[in-house]
Amino acid sequence: MSRRRYGLAAAAAGAVLVLAATGCTAGGSGSSSAGSGGRPVLTFLTFETPNLDAKYWDAAIARASAKVPGVKIKKLVAPSADRNGYVKQLAASGQLPDLMISVNPDGLAQSGKLTAWSAADLADYVSPNANPIGGKIYQLPYNTQPTPLVYYNKDLFAKAGITATPATYQQFLDDCAKLKSKSIDPIIVGGGGKDTFADGYPDIAAVGTDVYRARPNWLAERRSGKRSFTDPAFVGALKKVQDLAAKGYIDKSGLSRDYAATEQAFRDGKGAMYPMGSWFAASADAKKPGFGVGVFPWPSDDGKTVVPAYTGGGMSVSSTAPDVPLAKKWAKAFMEDKANLDASVRADGSIIAIRGYTPPAGMGPVYRATDALYQDAAKRHALVNSFTVETGDTGLVPGVSDRLWAGTADLISGRTTADELAKNLDTEWAKDTK
Amino acid sequence: MTITSPPSRTARRPSRRAPLAGIGHFLAFGAPGLLLYLGLVLVPVIMSVRSSLTDENPLHRSTRYTGLANYRELLGDPAFHRALGNTVIVTAIVVVVPNVLGLGVAILLDRRGRLYHALRAVFFTPVVLSSVVVSVIWQALLTDDGMVNSLLRSAGVDHPPGWLSDPSIALYSVASIIAWQMLGFCVVVYLAGLQGVPPELHEAAALDGAGAGGRFRHVTWPMLAPAVTINTVMLLITAFKAYDHIQVITNGGPGDGTTATIAFSVVTTAFTGNRIGYAAAMSTVMLALVAAISVLALRFLQRREVNL
Repeated sequence: MSRRRYGLAAAAAGAVLVLAATGCTAGGSGSSSAGSGGRPVLTFLTFETPNLDAKYWDAAIARASAKVPGVKIKKLVAPSADRNGYVKQLAASGQLPDLMISVNPDGLAQSGKLTAWSAADLADYVSPNANPIGGKIYQLPYNTQPTPLVYYNKDLFAKAGITATPATYQQFLDDCAKLKSKSIDPIIVGGGGKDTFADGYPDIAAVGTDVYRARPNWLAERRSGKRSFTDPAFVGALKKVQDLAAKGYIDKSGLSRDYAATEQAFRDGKGAMYPMGSWFAASADAKKPGFGVGVFPWPSDDGKTVVPAYTGGGMSVSSTAPDVPLAKKWAKAFMEDKANLDASVRADGSIIAIRGYTPPAGMGPVYRATDALYQDAAKRHALVNSFTVETGDTGLVPGVSDRLWAGTADLISGRTTADELAKNLDTEWAKDTK
Repeated sequence: MTITSPPSRTARRPSRRAPLAGIGHFLAFGAPGLLLYLGLVLVPVIMSVRSSLTDENPLHRSTRYTGLANYRELLGDPAFHRALGNTVIVTAIVVVVPNVLGLGVAILLDRRGRLYHALRAVFFTPVVLSSVVVSVIWQALLTDDGMVNSLLRSAGVDHPPGWLSDPSIALYSVASIIAWQMLGFCVVVYLAGLQGVPPELHEAAALDGAGAGGRFRHVTWPMLAPAVTINTVMLLITAFKAYDHIQVITNGGPGDGTTATIAFSVVTTAFTGNRIGYAAAMSTVMLALVAAISVLALRFLQRREVNL
C-alpha cells in the first residue's frame, strides 16, 4: 500500500472509530434494530431490588416472549432503584428504552416520548384512569401498592409491654415512648448511599393522614398554584416527622444505610417499626425473620383508618420504538401473563389491579395481613394517594421529591425545621417549573 | 553520527514530495487521534457551552436562547456555592493526602525483595479497582452499624462517629476514600522517581557529610520534581471530577447537598431537575476552573523542574 493510500485508510479508520464512539446508542431508535432473522430488537429497562432480582426479570421476559414471538428483548438494568433519573439520562442522550416498567411517565409523556394506552388496552384494568397525563394513560396500572404501612416486630412490641397496635397517633407516640424506655429504637428508616428516598416513608405517611385525607386533591391544587408547601397542614405533617426524630423515636443511624441495609436492620431486630411499602410483605414471607411480623396503617389523630396507596407501576412504551404496535403487544403480554402476575405477587407483594385475577394459593401471613388491610381500607373509602409516589397530572414535578428526601435527612438529623423544608420545596418547585 | 545524503537527483526527489509525505504521515498517525479528540472532547465541549446559553430541558419540545441568564443565576445560587466549596475541600484532601502518604510509602517500599514487590502490588490494587466497587465496600464499612463502628464499639467507644450519616463528617469521609484509592497511583509514580535518582548523587552527598534528612532534602526531593508534577495534576483533575464515589456512597447527602460536588450537581441538575442548560453552565464553569488551576499548577511545578 502506498503512503498516500495508507494515510487515507488510516484517516477513514479514525473517522469510523469516532462515528462508532459517538454514534453508538443503547436504546430507543438509536439502537433498536432488526436482530438476527429480522426480528426487531426492543430495549426493556428494568430495575433490581432485593425482591426483584435478575432471575425474576429474566423469567418474566422469557414468558412474555413466548407469548409474543418475533421480538427480541434486550434487557437494561437501571444502576439504582431510581430508574426515573436514569431514564431521563437515557432520554437526553437519545437512548430512551423502547419499553420501561415502573417509570414515572411525567415529562416524558408531555414531550411526546411515550405512546398512550387506548381504552381498549385498559379494558381489563381495575383503575383504567389511574394517573392520567392530559387525560391519557401512559403507564399500565397493573397493581396497587399501599405505601407505606407500618410493619412491626411483634417480639419487640411484647418486650415493651405493647399488647395492641396503636389506633390513634397519640397511642403511636405512647408506644414509641415505651419502646424507647426499653432501649429499643422505635422506628427504622434508611436514606444512605444512593438510596436517599428510603428516609421518606414517615413523610409519605404523615402527609397521607394529615393532608390528603382532608383534601384528596391537595397536590393537584399545588400544581395549579392554589396551595403551597408552606400551608399549615403540610408543614404540620412534616413537623410530626421532625418531632419523632427530636424525641429519638426515629433511628438517625439509618441515614447511612442504603435500602437493602435498612430492611436488613429491621430483620436484625435493630428497631421495632419499619414504615415501608407493601412489597416488604413478600420479603417477610419469603425470608422469615426470627420474629413475628405484623402490620398496621400509620395512625391518624382521630383513629380513623387512612391507607396511602398507588395504582400503576406497569409498562410504558416509547413512541420511537421500532415497532410500536408490537412493543405494546409485548408489554401487555408481560403485564397480563398469569405466571408473571403470580411471580410479581410472590416476589413483590403486589396487589394486582387486573379484573378476574386471584392471587396464588399459599401466600404467607404478612402478605395476607397486608392485603386484608388494603381491602378493608378500600371498603371504607379510606384510600388516599401516596405522596411522592403518585404520578401524572396529580404528581410532584420532577426533582421535588429528591429535594424532599434530602431535606428529610436534615429534618431527622436536626439541621433543618419543617418550616424551612417546606419553604425549600416551594423554591425547588419554582425552579423546576421554569 | 550524522548521515548526509549526496546532492544527487534521486536525493532531491523526496524533497519535492515532502509536503505530500508529511500529509500522509499526519493522516496515518495523527488523524485518528485528532478525530477521536474532536469527536469525544472538543465537539461535546462546544455543544455544552452552546447548551449553557439556553433553557434546554429534555422534556420540553423547544429550547430558547437565554444568553448569560444561567451564568447570572449561578452567581446567586447557594446550592452551587456549596457545591463549589465542597469541591475545594475534596480537592485539597485528595491532592495533599495521597501525595504526602504516597511519598512516605514509596520511600518505605524503595527496596529490593519479594516482600516489597508484593507490597507494591497491594498498594496499587485499589487504583485498578472500579470506583463503584470501592465505594460499595467503603459504604458498607462506614455505615453507622458497619464494621468500623462495630470495632470501635467493641473497643469501648460508646458513640462512634456517624462517618456517613453526620453531615459535618461525611464530606471528609468521602474525600478520604477517594484519597485512599489514589494512594497507590502516587506510590507507583514516586517509586519510579526514586529509582531514577542516581546512587552516585547520594554517595557524593554522604561523602560531603549529609545525613539521611539532608540527602532527602538536597538530592531526593529535587529529583522527584517531575513525579510531584504528575501526581499533583492527576490528583487535581481526579478531585475536580469526583462524582461516582459520591453518587454511590452518599448520593450528595446526608441531607441537602452536604457532599455534593460540582460534578455531582451537574448530573443531578441535568437529570433530576431536568435543567440541562443550567447544568451545562455549571459544567462550563467547572471546565474553566479545572483548566485554570491545572495550568497554574503545571507552570508552578514545571518551573521547579527547570530550576533543578
